Amino acid sequence: MARTTIATAAILMASLAIPITQHATVLASDDVAHAATKTGSATDDREATDLSAREILDRVDDMFRGTSSVGEAEMTIATEHWTRTLSLAFWTHGKEKSLFRILSPKKEKGTATLKVDADLWNYLPKVNRVIKLPSSMMSASWMGSHFSNDDLVKESRMAEDYDFEISFNGLRDEVELIEITCIPKENAAVVWGKVEVTVQRKTYLPISVVYYDEDLTLVRTMTYSDVRELGGRMLPATITIVPREKPQESTRVSYATMDFDIAHGDDLFSLRSLQE
Amino acid sequence: MSAVFAYAWRNLARNRRRTAIAMSAVALSTAMIVLAVALIDGMIGGAVGNATNLVVGEVQIHAVDYVEERSFYDALDDPAHVLAGARERGVAASARSYGYGLVAREVKSAGALFWGVVPSDEIAAFDLAHHVADGSGRFLDSKPERKLVLGRKLARTLGAEVGSEIVVVVQAADGSLGNELFSVAGVLKAVGDSVDRSAAIMHADDFRELFVSDGRVHEVAFNTRGAIDLAELERFASTLAPDADVRSWRTILPMLSDMLSLADGAMWVLGAVFFTAAGLGVMNTMLMATYERMREFGVLKALGATPWRIVRDVATEALLLSVAGTVVGLIVGLLGAHILQIYGIDTSTFAGETSFAGVAFDPIWRATPNYYAAARAAAVMCAVAVITSLYPAILAARLRPIEAMRRV
Repeated sequence: MARTTIATAAILMASLAIPITQHATVLASDDVAHAATKTGSATDDREATDLSAREILDRVDDMFRGTSSVGEAEMTIATEHWTRTLSLAFWTHGKEKSLFRILSPKKEKGTATLKVDADLWNYLPKVNRVIKLPSSMMSASWMGSHFSNDDLVKESRMAEDYDFEISFNGLRDEVELIEITCIPKENAAVVWGKVEVTVQRKTYLPISVVYYDEDLTLVRTMTYSDVRELGGRMLPATITIVPREKPQESTRVSYATMDFDIAHGDDLFSLRSLQE
Repeated sequence: MSAVFAYAWRNLARNRRRTAIAMSAVALSTAMIVLAVALIDGMIGGAVGNATNLVVGEVQIHAVDYVEERSFYDALDDPAHVLAGARERGVAASARSYGYGLVAREVKSAGALFWGVVPSDEIAAFDLAHHVADGSGRFLDSKPERKLVLGRKLARTLGAEVGSEIVVVVQAADGSLGNELFSVAGVLKAVGDSVDRSAAIMHADDFRELFVSDGRVHEVAFNTRGAIDLAELERFASTLAPDADVRSWRTILPMLSDMLSLADGAMWVLGAVFFTAAGLGVMNTMLMATYERMREFGVLKALGATPWRIVRDVATEALLLSVAGTVVGLIVGLLGAHILQIYGIDTSTFAGETSFAGVAFDPIWRATPNYYAAARAAAVMCAVAVITSLYPAILAARLRPIEAMRRV
């Protein structure tokens, strides 16, 4: 059930070769030029620094992306029946390839997941075997977390797969924020019925992303916090996902380190390196 | 009176060909009905047996919410108490634990529902252990040896055979990743779609270790093979596990239960259709046989026979003929039913695997001979034959002799 589109992008993947600042600038100037020709005047209501909804969504999508990345994170999963923390290392290249390796606890140490395009493989050190995940297991939980395997694989982009509009812009709970409501386009391969992205007005960093199913029932809430410098970018280092059905449960990912645009070895994303 | 019968008998013997045709029509129709009833009975009885004896059992006990949620954590409070109580009363029972996970063999993998069972209990209470396909290994041993018995479609998906190495990955009860190497002990024959597609059955001890399950049991299934009345068995289960969810197979397999009720009703309709068809066949034969003798009746009348006498003679002949016919038909039909009970009809060649409401039907369709139903059918056939012969007889009796004799 728990699948997402941008969750993948925002949390665990990196993508798109264009550095975000440049990307944003290009779009912004395009937009301004477009607006100018349309109205025939320069008296635009918006301040020069304001970004369009599309630009904000692209920023959120690309927040953790680069040509490549490497880092370490801690994932704390709390369920009704148990709570545990996994620490893991990850490597990504574009949005197509990524590798996650569990560093602790001891029982799972060395367990690794390789993602190449739409395929997922898991390496199990205890039995020393690699298994490919069947498509029927895509909606199943990844390593017991509230992320699904699908969350790791999906590569869609908010601005392309959804129709969107700014649904709120102003002060809420004493925070200046912008809320963008996204409704999937008819043919988009997404499982959500609606997604609400809320960003800080000042930094355009996400505060929360809320997912609704096709009946527009709240499914899960992702909140972003702990903004600090990661790999030269100011980023929310902690992401918490809370499923609506079991609000007492959560999965929290905290990035410890992260570096962008690192040159990876050619065979890093191979079944051989998966087993190392 | 005996003269009437002797006369009728002589008349029947006089035209052997006609008698033989009419008699075989009655015999054939009777045999057909007897066989059809036995086959329908066999199918319904077989379906109930298939549904309960294989794996479902007559009554199942789960923790409240388990059936709806299928949560690993909704386990029975005190399965040992339930099993001990069942043993005391001589009710065969099997305790099962269930958990979801992944099975993989080489590059192929699939989701599976793992069952943890105690092999000796499973063997004693159910037929599942004998349901391992010929040449496809065997059921689990009494010792935990990291062996799996797979549903047939699951085995096919994995390309697994007996002895194949299977990687098993599950999320254990403590949230950790359980993974282990198993090997295939056997592959089941068709059981029902969900079992065929997803069942991976292992020893309860292996299950406990893999899932860190702490001995959780999700289901206790009772199976008395009809020895204890269903309602009584349900009551017994409820007293053993008062806080649990107790269901009979009629609730567990509502579609099958409905289908069987429907089939019962359909049998009456089908029976009526058969009777009508067979009755019409007999009627036609008797009509023809009597019409053929119009001239003869005319002569009889001319010689002073009363109308009553003609009707009496024709009816007596029809009675003799149809009694003989139905007796032959009964013998042939019941013999056929017995043969089909022993050997059955192999439907797999033209129907493939048949399953309904998640329950596999034995591809061998066996008849259940039913003497009472057969006798009833024979009596009705007899009556039909006699009654249908009356119409032409009455017609002949009422004709003027000269007209009857002129008929061709």
